[in-house]
Order: sequence, then C-alpha cells, then structure tokens
Amino acid sequence: MAELEFEARLDRLFAQAPFFADAAIFAIQIDHRLERGWNVRRLLIGGLGLVGGLFGVVQVVSSGVLSRAEMLSAQSSKLLSQNVHQLIPLHLSFLDLPFGREVLGMSAALAAIALVLGLTRAIEEI
Amino acid sequence: MGGSITQRTAVAAAHDVELARRAALGERAAFGELVRRHSSAVRGLMRRLGADSALADDLAQDAFLTAFEQITEFRGDGTFQAWVKRIAARLFVRRWRRDKRTDLVAETPDTPATDGSDQADAARRIDLDAALNTLTSAERLCVSLCYGGGLSHAEAAEALNAPLGTVKSHVKRGLDKLRDRLAWAESDDQAGRPVNG
Repeated sequence: MAELEFEARLDRLFAQAPFFADAAIFAIQIDHRLERGWNVRRLLIGGLGLVGGLFGVVQVVSSGVLSRAEMLSAQSSKLLSQNVHQLIPLHLSFLDLPFGREVLGMSAALAAIALVLGLTRAIEEI
Repeated sequence: MGGSITQRTAVAAAHDVELARRAALGERAAFGELVRRHSSAVRGLMRRLGADSALADDLAQDAFLTAFEQITEFRGDGTFQAWVKRIAARLFVRRWRRDKRTDLVAETPDTPATDGSDQADAARRIDLDAALNTLTSAERLCVSLCYGGGLSHAEAAEALNAPLGTVKSHVKRGLDKLRDRLAWAESDDQAGRPVNG
C-alpha cells in the first residue's frame, strides 16, 4: 500500500511541470522550425516538379512527336477541307433546321454558361 | 481583426483532443497552443532524464516537430502530454544510445555528494529534481523513463537495448533512494516550517 502511495506521489511529482520563463520564446522557435520545414518541402516539391517538367519536355521534343503532330495536322486539315467541300453541296444550313436562330443562340449561350460553371467547380475541386 | 481575436480565444479554450484534430487538418495555431500548454512538461522531462539545458530544449523541439508530423496517430486515448512525452523520451534514448554517455551497468553516482546545507536547502522544497540528482545516471534514466516518460519497464528495456532485469533493478534502486530522500526532505520541511501565531 505504501509502495503504491509512493508511486502515485512520484507520478504526481513527475507530472508537475517546472516553470520556464522563456516558454513563449520556445513556442515561437518551434513555430519557426515548422515554417522552415514547410518552406523546404515546398521548394523541394517545386524543384522536383520543375525538373520533371523539363525532363518531360526534353523527352517530347527528342521523340519527334512535334513533327509527327505537324504532319498529322496537315493531313487532317486536308481531309477536313475535302469533306467540307463535299458537305456544301448538300445545302446544309441553319435555315433547314426545325428551330430558329434565336433558339440556336440561346442554346449556345446556355452551353457556354454550363461550361463556365463546370470549369469553376473543377477549379474549386482542385 | 475581431475574427482573429475570436479565433485565438476559441483556440485557447479548446480541449487538447480538439486542438490535435485541428492541427491534423493543418491548423498551425492549434498546434501552437498545444506547444504552449505542454512545452514546459516536455522540457522538464528532458532535464530529468539527464540532458543539459541546450540538449533538452533541442530534443523537446524535435519531439514537438515529430508530434506534428505524426499528429494523425494521436487518437485521444491518453492525454496529449503523455503522448508527446513518450515521443520525447524515445528521442532522448535514441540520442543517448548514439552518444553512449552512460553505461547502464555503471553504478557510481555522477553527481558528487553535496554538503548538508545544500541538501537541506533543496530538500525543504521537496524538490524532485534535487532528489533525482542523487541517483546514478542509469537509475535516473530508468526511473525518469518509466515515471516521467510513461514507458513500461519492457518498453524502456527495449528502447535502451538493455535486459529487462537490469532496467527493473535500476528502477527499484532508484525508487528506494527517492523514497528515502523525499521522506527525509518532507520531514525536514515540516520541522523547518515556521509556526504562525
């Protein structure tokens, strides 16, 4: 019993924190070290991102993908212009559609608003 | 401005578990409040384990930084102070093992015996720190780890990489000395207390 009492007393003595006059300075020092850690982490992540980005750009350029994209673009624009020429004789015009220009304009405006809302939401999510 | 004061008041009034939860969400002010509340206890523990002031403060800072990194692991089962003290105790032991300043087998007291007047002066305040100074480093380390750091004997033995029996015997011898010392200090304190009226 005496043993338990003594151990309880010892627990209480150990639980009593001594007074430190510089406690506020100590807390500020920890805050500064946390801030420094965050800055180092941000710089590290930023630096790694930059290096990764540069590496990616070098890889893309060196793989000749740009010249291939240019070639594909030329081919597709050629193909598109051919198809447009084929479509024109069909006399496809807005006047032939079952609704007026106003409805078309309103639909386009609504689509634009929906797109802006979607983009805003996506940016918020990021 | 007003919002900031309200926020500070809310942080100051919040419970440790709530502050830890907010710190886990990245709220640095909440963690700052936890540091303000418990830094003295952790710094005191480092000194009681045997670290000098500079090392004690370094380790206490490291303990809080580690606590911030691992704050999501604090679930509020025990107190925040006990949790951060355990982190600090383990950091101290890691440093102690690296430096190997103390041989756990050594039994010679590190602190030279003080003269009677010094002893009486310290004893009147029933000063735990003065009592700890009468132990060997190994006894002091083991007692402080188990009673101040909240480690079990087995955990202390594992942390110190020492046999469990060795740790237990150091704790027992340390407790015997502390019991004698504190009992003597208490009686001395009662005898020396001025009588009013």
